[in-house]
Amino acid sequence: MRVVIHDLKDEDSAGKVIEHLGDVHVIADDGTIHRCLGCFGCWTKTPGVCVIRDAYGDMGALFSKCSEVFIISKCCYGGFSPFVKNVLDRSISYVHPYFVNKDGEMHHKRRYKNHVRLQVSFYGETTEQERETAKGVAQSIATNLWWDLAGVSFGDDIADIRGAIS
Amino acid sequence: MKITLINGSPKPSQSASGRILQFLQPLLESERHENTLHAWRRPDLDSQDALDLCECDALIFAFPLYVDGIPSHLLNCLMQLEERLAHTEKDIMVYAIVNCGFYEGHQARWALAMMENWCHRAQVQWGYGIGLGAGGILAGDNATPLDVGPNRNLGQALRKLAHSVTNRVSDQNLFITANFPKLLYKLGGEMGWRKNARANGLRARDLSMKR
Repeated sequence: MRVVIHDLKDEDSAGKVIEHLGDVHVIADDGTIHRCLGCFGCWTKTPGVCVIRDAYGDMGALFSKCSEVFIISKCCYGGFSPFVKNVLDRSISYVHPYFVNKDGEMHHKRRYKNHVRLQVSFYGETTEQERETAKGVAQSIATNLWWDLAGVSFGDDIADIRGAIS
Repeated sequence: MKITLINGSPKPSQSASGRILQFLQPLLESERHENTLHAWRRPDLDSQDALDLCECDALIFAFPLYVDGIPSHLLNCLMQLEERLAHTEKDIMVYAIVNCGFYEGHQARWALAMMENWCHRAQVQWGYGIGLGAGGILAGDNATPLDVGPNRNLGQALRKLAHSVTNRVSDQNLFITANFPKLLYKLGGEMGWRKNARANGLRARDLSMKR
């Protein structure tokens, strides 16, 4: 399965950006996402799924079934937009609460063994420092989720990122 | 000097960020600073909070590292505050303390970089940040004082921060870890997760459940 997480408001523009990807599962902002409460219930109450049962409560399980994840986000201070970050904050059930050492650093143990390729496209006006931060953020997230980062691209507006993901 | 402390944890209680700011408050008071504590747990910035913040001399944020970055609700608040700060004449310094569940404080480096980038956008002055590793120790411990046991490195870092705020110092980010062995931190964490699972009526092996 291929998953696209995006924060594009306009369905038409979102469709144009991702139409060439074919059959994908789309996670978009329907205005109902609840924020992460920091309760760790997704690890100790309902392991593997979020205790908040809105449309975004099964992100960890969804990631376990996919082979590619595409993230399309406005670049905010070198990171993701609040919606995309909210989706990621609600996805930590994808990993296990226990820690392991990986290249000398502590990370969470894998819950699933699927192989995932991550591509990130940021849009919006950015500074050089924000682009450097964004590349670091994308790599760190890939490392922490045990994914491979296939690419990070930037575009001044949505039209610029249309061809960046494939 | 008027200083605002912002706890960016979504937790209503028992947050490591709250504990860090509790430690910091008396240090700022000993430097004769007036400080006010705000807790931002929702994605909406309170109008009165925004007005107060625009009138202070320094902002000090403390928040947990969430998926290598700033928790989404706090990011929302920062975007709203950026707009408000654009209209202030005050020369505001900003410092941030990010606590990581991971052992290495440097895993907070990208969250601190985002805070620095936010400062450029909001036209306020970035001081520096502290990345604290093994922050999980603080969340479960209300008894150990600052400068004692696992809180020795944190004590040094917060004293430096209080002094830096007084002198409006900008510096390199500081990355520290609680004074606690890595292996024991890992094993203690695992024990804690099993205890929480059992308290929720689960077995330890349920922690590895696949969906």
